[in-house]
Amino acid sequence: MSSNPKHHTEHGTTASYIVGFILSLLFTIIPYLLVTKHKVSGTSLLATVLGFALLQMIIQLVFFLHLGREKKPYWQSSFLVATVGLILVVVVGSLWIMHHLHYNMVPTEASKKLVNDEAIYQIGGEQTGACQTMGPNHQITIKDGQISPTHIAAQKCDTLSFVNQDDEAHHIMFGSFEEPQPYAGEDMLSLRKGRAKTITLSEQGTHTFHDHMHPETSGGFTVLP
Amino acid sequence: MADMAEAKLTEHEAHYNDRVQFGFWIYLMTDLLMFTVLFAVYAVLRDNTLGGPGGDELFSQPLALTETLILLTSSFTAGLGMIAARRGLKNQVLVWFGITFMLGLAFLSFELKEFAEFIHEGHTMNTNAFLSSFFALVGTHGLHITSGLLWMAITLIFVMRRGLNGPLVRKLTLLSLFWHFLDIVWIFIFSVVYLMALA
Repeated sequence: MSSNPKHHTEHGTTASYIVGFILSLLFTIIPYLLVTKHKVSGTSLLATVLGFALLQMIIQLVFFLHLGREKKPYWQSSFLVATVGLILVVVVGSLWIMHHLHYNMVPTEASKKLVNDEAIYQIGGEQTGACQTMGPNHQITIKDGQISPTHIAAQKCDTLSFVNQDDEAHHIMFGSFEEPQPYAGEDMLSLRKGRAKTITLSEQGTHTFHDHMHPETSGGFTVLP
Repeated sequence: MADMAEAKLTEHEAHYNDRVQFGFWIYLMTDLLMFTVLFAVYAVLRDNTLGGPGGDELFSQPLALTETLILLTSSFTAGLGMIAARRGLKNQVLVWFGITFMLGLAFLSFELKEFAEFIHEGHTMNTNAFLSSFFALVGTHGLHITSGLLWMAITLIFVMRRGLNGPLVRKLTLLSLFWHFLDIVWIFIFSVVYLMALA
């Protein structure tokens, strides 16, 4: 077999495997470092990561799967190209369709949140109750699993910040543990350690909240008109 | 005369091997389409966490990098094993594919450990659409790795008992194709699932 040079080139040599391996390692570690050291973010992160994945796929196809070194009429390569076409149709088509579906059929709570976030004051001639100008900020601190203060009175359109000073994450949900109720479109506020999140008090009345992992950690707030 | 007959046989054998390899390639491409659908589902559902933690909080990127490096190395050792197989070096085949097997096992145990931690923390595949699609995609790859390991173990036992004959080299060729293919699919899981979670 090895005396036949033509046959030999169809498979890899040790050298080609080593080159493929080193290039693959590089194209794994470069995007990893770019992402974890926060050198890229958002859309450019997606593009960078996808770009390196595609590069690595080509390298492995050439150096490990020996693509393009087969004999004519290149059935394997043709089949691969056809498959790539199908892949593009499935992935791009799904994302495109689902993006529009999502955009046009926003669930109630999400649209409430959208209304508050974007301060949309009316939809189809109806008042949404969203706040146009924000009042003063109130703060609730969570430290060692304790909430302080446990109750706050505020005016409508004031803002309320939850500050997590613990070393673990807290997940604030509104309503009781048994029957959580979204407040102003917020299902849950996930507070990672040392982080804070702020909501706008756009719904009046007295409301309660609790930490969904530790239901005994709870409090409330009253929003006056 | 004898030489001619032998040459004809190997030519026939080579032709047969090409056909088998092409058939296996078709299987790999259809398998790739299945993974594509799972990727598309994941891309569509990754933000549907039902208020729960998303990938940015759940995933450990260093763990994913470790798994990637392990699988990449195993793909490399499988390639070296194939070179040894074509040269008829039985012991080298056993060593390289033995290393590949151990690396595959290490990869699988890291993956199962990650799954066990998620489930223990209450992030199961019933929690939300994001986790359903995550477990479906990564779990399907894990199942492929498991069957690849079984296949490798059985083939290696045959190599040990019967030595390297033509059909066994052909089986090793298909196995290494399968293994390289799973490595490529994993690169996309590493990129799309673990790295893009930080976008």
